[in-house]
Amino acid sequence: MSIFHKLKESLTDTLYIWREEMRQIIRDEGMLIFLVIVPLGYPLLYSWIYNNETVHEVPVVVVDQSHSALSRQFIHDCDASSDVQVKYYAEDLDEARSLISRQLVRGIYLIPSDFATRVLRGEQGTVSVYCDMSLMLTYKAIYQTAVVEASRLGAGLNIKKAGNFTKREDAITAQPLAVADVALFNPSGGYGSCVLPAVLILILQQTLALGIGMAAGTTRERNRNSQLIPDDNPHYRGAYRIVSGKALCYGMVAAVTGAYLTMAVPHMFSFPQLANAWDLLLMMIPYILACVFFGMTVSCLVRYRENVMLLMVFISVPLLFLTGVSWPESNIPGAWQGVSWLFPSTFGVRAFIRVNSMGATFDQILPEIRILWIQAAAYLAMACLVYRHQFRLAAKTK
Amino acid sequence: MKYISQILDIALRELGILCKNRIYGICMVIFPLLTVLFFTTMLDEGVPQDLPIGVVDMDNSTTSRSLVRNLDAMQNSRVVYHFASVTEARNAIQENKIYAFLYIPEGMASKLLAGRQPKLSYYYTMTCMTAGSMASKDLKTIAALGSAAVGQAVLSAKGATPRQIKSALQPVSIDAHPTVNPEANYNVYLTTALVPGIMILFMTLLSAYSLGMELKFDTGKEWLQRANGNIVVAILGKYIVHALVFLLVVFLFQYYLYGVLHFPRLGSVWNIVCLCLLQVFGSISFGIFVFGLMPSLRMSMSVCSLWSVLGFSMCGSTFPIIGMDAPLQALSWLIPLRHYFMLYQMTVFNGFPFIDAWFHLVALIAFTLMPWFVISKVKNAMLNYVYIP
Repeated sequence: MSIFHKLKESLTDTLYIWREEMRQIIRDEGMLIFLVIVPLGYPLLYSWIYNNETVHEVPVVVVDQSHSALSRQFIHDCDASSDVQVKYYAEDLDEARSLISRQLVRGIYLIPSDFATRVLRGEQGTVSVYCDMSLMLTYKAIYQTAVVEASRLGAGLNIKKAGNFTKREDAITAQPLAVADVALFNPSGGYGSCVLPAVLILILQQTLALGIGMAAGTTRERNRNSQLIPDDNPHYRGAYRIVSGKALCYGMVAAVTGAYLTMAVPHMFSFPQLANAWDLLLMMIPYILACVFFGMTVSCLVRYRENVMLLMVFISVPLLFLTGVSWPESNIPGAWQGVSWLFPSTFGVRAFIRVNSMGATFDQILPEIRILWIQAAAYLAMACLVYRHQFRLAAKTK
Repeated sequence: MKYISQILDIALRELGILCKNRIYGICMVIFPLLTVLFFTTMLDEGVPQDLPIGVVDMDNSTTSRSLVRNLDAMQNSRVVYHFASVTEARNAIQENKIYAFLYIPEGMASKLLAGRQPKLSYYYTMTCMTAGSMASKDLKTIAALGSAAVGQAVLSAKGATPRQIKSALQPVSIDAHPTVNPEANYNVYLTTALVPGIMILFMTLLSAYSLGMELKFDTGKEWLQRANGNIVVAILGKYIVHALVFLLVVFLFQYYLYGVLHFPRLGSVWNIVCLCLLQVFGSISFGIFVFGLMPSLRMSMSVCSLWSVLGFSMCGSTFPIIGMDAPLQALSWLIPLRHYFMLYQMTVFNGFPFIDAWFHLVALIAFTLMPWFVISKVKNAMLNYVYIP
């Protein structure tokens, strides 16, 4: 047999397998859900959930025992801030607590009876802030608003006392050292802009692994000896053909969903999008390849087609943590850092956030890209090894 | 008596299934325990400490150096780089080397003393919110210290007492009382919601899975026969084993949290027991309900997994429900994890009375009763449907 003939034959087989896999995606409900519908629909739902980005007007209750102009000014200022809304007034702390208990408010501002007296006497007045700590974002809103308003009130009092002549002097009295507080890359500190890019990239890996795993499980269930190669199909006769045929199919699907996830969804919901198209492409190619071969390797572990769901779904939440998007990467314990190296999502998410949300250039994400290529190569080798092993098994059982 | 012996018979049969198919053991015991281990060790620090931070010090005065030293000494920050320019520092953030940097302009100290209001700047990335907000908190404190330094020097030169200085610099102070979890420990706040979420995921998935597997291997008829065609007995017998295993795992988890790690709580042990019972029964029942709606292994498991994963966002433990749009707030009522989280947060964490959380209590009981609506469909499925792969 000439080398050209052989080449042609293997190409035909690859393309045949590619077509079969494509067909299966459309025919098989489960695969259609995970490879097409979930990547298209889920990101929209998630974007909607986080679309408001920050919490505004967190309800608080005020216990004003001072009843002074100063205390009323403080309450007005807090109410006027964007983050806090003074929803109730209570007589004492117990009444205020019962409002928290009924979930009507999330925190208490207590202004003691000697507040104004102390402040006007030149002593330090204190406002007590009680917070329900079950939600971090509402706690921050309530506490930070109180701090900001207290220092503003204090600055105003100091200006009155200083007896300055010009406005410039007043400004310096209020703030001898000017401070610029600049939040970079996600200036509003929005929760969605922070978490969503990571979720989008993670969805790609998880849905690919689920889809590929289901396909492999189905093949195994149809096989007489529960092996990964369909019996009696002349086209499935080489490990490389199967792996490349499958990769062609899932790579194509992932190219479309990947483009949708990284470009269309952030655009629709106005999440940060600083990536240069070329950099994004150079980042997504190794990521998709790594995910496809990762999925194939995982799929070899699957005995029944549904088991892959039990394996892959729950792992999404730990994987999100391993990317360093909610718990800082520098503080992830070493052992878990090691585990995170097994998953393409870790580096895919990191590279995507930096390129897309932080406007990093390609050479700044080069370390991640290198690891993604290494992962792609390693998982490709593993997938080939597994399929070759399957052929050896098949030969034995025949 | 007849029913009890039937239930026992089916429970023994189920026990055999659980032992034979390894995936049950893995998903009921090993994976949940691994998740517990994962989150508790991952967040062991509680609050991220020593976050890498950079400094661009163009001033190089004793004041600026003392600011940098103070920053380095703060609990959450560690100064790891000194940069020559803001561009270099920004590049370092983009390269993931630091989370924030402090920029001290040239002549800050002299301008400060001359009363010409120099400007200190700090930059932090909010692409990782925990790191960004922790670093910015420290930087804010440093800026306030820098601001106070001048006033303090002037006032003490004039002979003011420390108390007078304190009240002159900060006439109104805030006395914070963050209840129950005073140091804002992330382990307390995330592990208590995410790990039960993963357990709920497994409970719902496995209860749909176990019914679906009866269909798949066509053992449903035999299962019903043992109950003499009584579907209620069949379901009770089947899931009593699941519930017992899960209860064991869940109680072990709660014991580990409160007995070993000493997580803060104001609610009593009985509140925890009640919460666990509702969690296990509610979730298992939800899985049966979904299977009853869509009596196919693949569809019911897909729905269970998508629904449970959605729960992690919709339970409102990270991004509060009050920040979401109204239709989503309504949708959250249909999520078991949402009610679990609210009950936990109100009755266990804060120790509020159950009556204030009655809605969520009733909701979880309602989830437990949901299979009642579909029980006949499950029976029908077992008798008539054929598994299509």
